[in-house]
Amino acid sequence: MIGIANYSVYVPRRRLRRETIAAAWGAPALPGCKAAVNFDEDSLTMAQSAAWPLVQSGGAEALSFASTTAPYWQRSAASLIAAACDLPARTATADFGASLRSATTALRAALDAVAAGSVRTALVMAADCRDGAPESAEEMLFGDAAAAVSVGSEDLAAELVAMVSRSDDFPDEWRRDTDTHVRSFASKYSLARGYIENVVAVGRALFEQAGVQPDQIARAALTSSDGRAHLAAAKALGIPAARVEDVRAGDIGITGAAMPLFLLAQALDCAKAGDLILAIAYGDGADGFLFRALGGGTRLRADSPTMEYPTYQVYRKLRGYWRTSGGSVEISNVLLRREETQNVRLHGSLCPQCGLLQFPIAKVCVGCHHHGGLIEKPLARHGRLFTFTKDFLYNARVEPTVMAVVDLDGGGRFLCQMTDVDPAAVEIGMEIELVLRRMREGAGDHYYYWKCRPV
Amino acid sequence: MPGSIKDQVAIIGVGCTKFGDNFDQSFEDLLVEAGFAAFADARVEPERVEAAWLGTFSPYAGNGKASVSLADALRMYGKPITRVENYCATGTDAFRNAAMAVASGMYDVGLVAGAEKLKDRPVRGLGWENGHPYQHDGLTPPGVFAMAANRYFHRFGHGSGAGREALAKVSVKNHHNGSMNPKAHFQMEVSEEQVLKAPIVAWPFGLFDCCPTTDGAAAAVICRADMARQFRDDYVLVKGLGLAVTSGRPWYDAANEYVGFAATRAASEEAYRMAGVRNPVAEIDLAEVHDCFTWTEITNYEDLGFCGKGEGMHFIGEGRSALSGDLPVNPSGGLKSFGHPIGASGVRMIYEVVTQLRGQAGARQVRDAELGLVHNLGGPGSVACVIVMGRR
Repeated sequence: MIGIANYSVYVPRRRLRRETIAAAWGAPALPGCKAAVNFDEDSLTMAQSAAWPLVQSGGAEALSFASTTAPYWQRSAASLIAAACDLPARTATADFGASLRSATTALRAALDAVAAGSVRTALVMAADCRDGAPESAEEMLFGDAAAAVSVGSEDLAAELVAMVSRSDDFPDEWRRDTDTHVRSFASKYSLARGYIENVVAVGRALFEQAGVQPDQIARAALTSSDGRAHLAAAKALGIPAARVEDVRAGDIGITGAAMPLFLLAQALDCAKAGDLILAIAYGDGADGFLFRALGGGTRLRADSPTMEYPTYQVYRKLRGYWRTSGGSVEISNVLLRREETQNVRLHGSLCPQCGLLQFPIAKVCVGCHHHGGLIEKPLARHGRLFTFTKDFLYNARVEPTVMAVVDLDGGGRFLCQMTDVDPAAVEIGMEIELVLRRMREGAGDHYYYWKCRPV
Repeated sequence: MPGSIKDQVAIIGVGCTKFGDNFDQSFEDLLVEAGFAAFADARVEPERVEAAWLGTFSPYAGNGKASVSLADALRMYGKPITRVENYCATGTDAFRNAAMAVASGMYDVGLVAGAEKLKDRPVRGLGWENGHPYQHDGLTPPGVFAMAANRYFHRFGHGSGAGREALAKVSVKNHHNGSMNPKAHFQMEVSEEQVLKAPIVAWPFGLFDCCPTTDGAAAAVICRADMARQFRDDYVLVKGLGLAVTSGRPWYDAANEYVGFAATRAASEEAYRMAGVRNPVAEIDLAEVHDCFTWTEITNYEDLGFCGKGEGMHFIGEGRSALSGDLPVNPSGGLKSFGHPIGASGVRMIYEVVTQLRGQAGARQVRDAELGLVHNLGGPGSVACVIVMGRR
């Protein structure tokens, strides 16, 4: 038996109301809001945040990342995330992209790998932060999110019953290598010939392969490019609307490559043991799965409290549209590699004499000055605020920069920026978690390091 | 236990430029002005100087790097010159090294110069260019001290913000003193209300809680005490000095209570031991201390032993550090008002204390000043240098 063990979702805390966008352009508003990354987040950091609780609960022998908005054309986000999750070098990492069904392509590969016995557990992450062009329908619709599932053969939330894939080079939505925004032929024809045709074909193929009837489907997790078409596809497949997962277009947005796993997590949340879950992701064809819920497994990251972008201008500024990032930090790969264990894997040193856990990695204990034999040890990624300042002098994209000194659980005092926080709410003693974020942009590279945020 | 150089070294001449936005002066111009002023004050020919020490913190555009920056400015070639850099304690540590060299008998006459040309640069504030690119990203000099100030206010029950009135009093006092100092960067009074309403730089510090970035240079000529009378009668003697270094990454030390600076405590204990000072608040007549930010002056009162930990707010509140108080602190106007060209500041403090001990400080003169103290604090409170000096 193979299937989904645990799963998690990550939604950025920031929200942008659609009427705020509409007001900026003097246009009619769509209802609701969308989730939008903070200035220091991207698909990589969101995927890492989604993956981390799954790694903590059981590790992963393989780790794959799926996105249409990877921060690199050439550099594996999965490999960087593996390091940030402190996974060993033997971890099989892979990056999937190009299609809105890249997450399900990665999921198929993970299920196949576990079925073949080449790995026992595989973790699949999907994240997207697509930037709709200013004043476009996509700008209103697109939201940012990530989700992750772990695939294995023990302690499953749901077992795989059947899977089907279909390839179709139908050009309804694309982004060239030089484009920063999605282009599309948004039309009734595109929906009917592209989305509906592929989703229905894959759904029927799954029913046939598994020998099930549409009325046996308890939950249908169908992706959607507009927040409506999935209901039409469900109707064509004979599944009542009440059993179709809300794609969260209203409060999170159309989440691109993250949506298939996001909806699967949502379906697993409310599935009872024995329920059949249909999951189909559309994009240049479609991937479909039938899972049977087993009642095990858990969602490992709850939705976070939210903060609103006050204005459209602030949203755009932080999205990097009107102001490119400054700074000219260049860091040699000699330093990057030598400090990976402390800066990316977040290891410190444990003193064998006095038992103090400390950061950064040291040869001489900061507490008792014992020399020799300090043991490298991972730091906890959770703790409390010891002291702070709100700095307006540092040239940041959003002021003030909250600098924090934190005491981590089990030891280790750490300095970092605080993010996703209303500066007025910062208080000594508050509970925090460490999150991987993009730092000041370098002249030729992105830099990732840890920040803290209120829990 | 370390030895002592008490009464072995004399300061026979001092010089100081006007501090400020010296846009029309180069780094070398500043050194020439301060250096030759010190030579003239000491009544020595430059050739008499056998060795020199230059304090500069941050070289820029070919100036301030290594000993040649002083050699070329003063055309002092063929002599031993050492450049000293020790964060904001650069100037006092340059003086300390020079004093020990003269006390050793190696040199009869030495020159100490400190200079910094911050206003040639395009950046805002001092920057933190040598910090770790990730680990320290987001740190600024006011931010570093603000984190300590917030913890201090948390610890001593004033809450973050309630202590801002005490901070404002430090700014008001130092601006008042600086208003009487023709060499100060800012020669203007400020009101408590102005200080409290100024834009926040790094909470709890507003603009008037922060020292400015400044151009300037200062210099001192020192010699063996037993030959000082050849140059002048009113020379000043080094009574005691101490330097102490703690972690440059205090935010990673879980034992750090973050309410003051152990470096200042250790350096002052050493200087007091050498000088024979047992009760600093009673024995010291004036102090030039490192008020890079207003809260730093408050913790300095405590760390230098002028009052107990947590009592610094009362020390300023009761006016004890005012010009008319029992221990005037920063009669020059301090870093806050006089300005803070990093490498120059420590030597500038020596210039002020010497001027006060000679009774030449004019409107800001501290009465009957016999024993003065200089205190520099560098990095995130990591490097402290304390010098006690007195009339012969």
